[in-house]
Amino acid sequence: MKTLVLGLGNDLIADDGVGIEAARRLREIFAETPDVDVHECSMSGIALLEELIDYDRVVLIDAVKTDKTPVGEITSLRLEDLGAVLAPSPHYAGLPELLALANELELDFPKEFVIYAIEVEDPFTIGGGMTQGVLSALPKLVEKVKTKVDEWICEPALA
Amino acid sequence: MSRTITIDPITRLEGHGKIDIFLNDEGNVDRAYFQVPELRGFEKFAEGRPCEDMPQITSRICGVCPMAHHMASAKALDDLYKVEAPPAGKKIREMIYDIFTIEDHALHFYFLGGPDFVVGPDAPKAERNILGVIGKVGLEVGKQVIAARKELRGLINLMCGKVIHPVFGLPGGVSKSLKKADLDKFTGAADRAIEFGKFSLQVFDDLVLKNSQYVEWITSDAYTHQTYYMGLVDENNKVNFYDGKVRVVKPDGSEHSTFDPKNYLDHISEHVEPWSYIKFCYLKDIGWKGFEDGADSGIYSVAPLARLNAADGMATPLAQEAYEKFYATLGGKPVHHTLANHWARLIELLYCAERFKELANDPDITDPNVRTLPTEKPTEGVGVVEAPRGTLFHHYKTDERGVITHANLIVATQNNAARIALSVDKAAKGLIKKGEVNDGLLNMVEMAFRAYDPCHGCATHALPGQMPLMVRLYDADKNVVNELVRNGA
Repeated sequence: MKTLVLGLGNDLIADDGVGIEAARRLREIFAETPDVDVHECSMSGIALLEELIDYDRVVLIDAVKTDKTPVGEITSLRLEDLGAVLAPSPHYAGLPELLALANELELDFPKEFVIYAIEVEDPFTIGGGMTQGVLSALPKLVEKVKTKVDEWICEPALA
Repeated sequence: MSRTITIDPITRLEGHGKIDIFLNDEGNVDRAYFQVPELRGFEKFAEGRPCEDMPQITSRICGVCPMAHHMASAKALDDLYKVEAPPAGKKIREMIYDIFTIEDHALHFYFLGGPDFVVGPDAPKAERNILGVIGKVGLEVGKQVIAARKELRGLINLMCGKVIHPVFGLPGGVSKSLKKADLDKFTGAADRAIEFGKFSLQVFDDLVLKNSQYVEWITSDAYTHQTYYMGLVDENNKVNFYDGKVRVVKPDGSEHSTFDPKNYLDHISEHVEPWSYIKFCYLKDIGWKGFEDGADSGIYSVAPLARLNAADGMATPLAQEAYEKFYATLGGKPVHHTLANHWARLIELLYCAERFKELANDPDITDPNVRTLPTEKPTEGVGVVEAPRGTLFHHYKTDERGVITHANLIVATQNNAARIALSVDKAAKGLIKKGEVNDGLLNMVEMAFRAYDPCHGCATHALPGQMPLMVRLYDADKNVVNELVRNGA
């Protein structure tokens, strides 16, 4: 079973870099773990498809700004939670669309997705570092992803 | 009662970037505006940073075409340090750049423009997406597109460390030579890319050109403007993506000027409008005459159609053949139909594949000497490439330590901004009559700008990847009288 941890975002745009930073920390943690890859990605749309092909399980980490939960709050989402939204431009194709495409083309696509979305304050300012609220929540985010991946790694042993 | 219609496709970006259509009392279009967010202060942000960081920093401007910024930036560093890459360094750069252009053009044709043409602009909106395209061209083709892109991106990874933020271009060359042991991967991929290019043109022939309704749309007045065209050309005035001189042709197709990219400021000026963040580029000697086309207006266009118009042909045989068919079919040079960009894009894809093959088989390509070390003090440098979406300029000034004191970037979408604004306005006026607005009509207005593939890739990623379109109708007092939210499709 191959597992991918994929941090999304742009490390030049304030809090949008949180997924990238989390991935960098997790890369060190899983450096010696076989069958676990940690990648960072600043691309969107179809490019994500090529990142995901050939993995069995994926944890995605990204910034989200809903203004409904406190900054730093981490929400765990499943693909079903995203709804079947089709983007008007494939520049912005989202996961549900990629999954539909992968199914249609019978590609070797992950069977299991978990998304950790962290509520951020400022995903817009170029050149800014992360805001304090997001920085403080970063260790917790890393821990959550680590726990999830550890759980997956142990699963076959339990079964 | 006049109404305002707003098509807002990129709500992620603080609400900027949308189409506003103002209707008059008769329900006809008074004026349509297309607003573009680009760059968002990257130039200011670059100041005070070491110039060697620029290829890495600017490749993060955009999540769609990082390689174009990376390459323009590396070329600007060459000029800044007055250093020339050795033959292998240059050829590797050009080859990687052609590979990138192939995969990016394929993405656009099959996934972005595809929903408009392969599926059809008046198809039910639930089908106007990637899956609709696959349904039309067949599963095997879909698999082939994904496989081709994956292979090409794998090659870019091999040379650049990563596709997304390449660690590749350095002042005076590239970071890595091409190993003889890896050469087979490139020559094999080049052959497959040529087949893919031929096949894609065949798809266009079968699905678009054989459909008289589509051909009517392509050549219709609503999608036609007589403007100047700009593109990079080699010493024989043939299209080149990586290097050359900038050539501009007049609306009648004759040459207006050919200039060294370093002198771009003598030829291009920028105009500001209060309703958009984008600066509209125009030809300095002709001047800004408002949003008008014709030889008296300085508005020009870049991107595939403009590149073909600005050149005398393609430097490779199969692409040249396709180029001749293009002009023979559409009534001679230049072609002014915006939607012909889709066809021109595929001709370029085939050219890049053929050029890729030439370079992969060039004896110099595995020469280990890929970099000339800079020894001069840096002062000022300009780099230009043809990004998939058009001419891209990077211009830096530094202090003697190589720290950026001034940066100016002119991206493809800026070069095109005025013509895109014209296109959206004209399409809206041509298509929306007596207040009748429906999804199909709005999509056809959107098609006017999608043909240019304007890039808002500097958008932040945000889950869940949702991109709703919002259409708002206002009365004369700016009260919202109707609101339609199109959830993506």
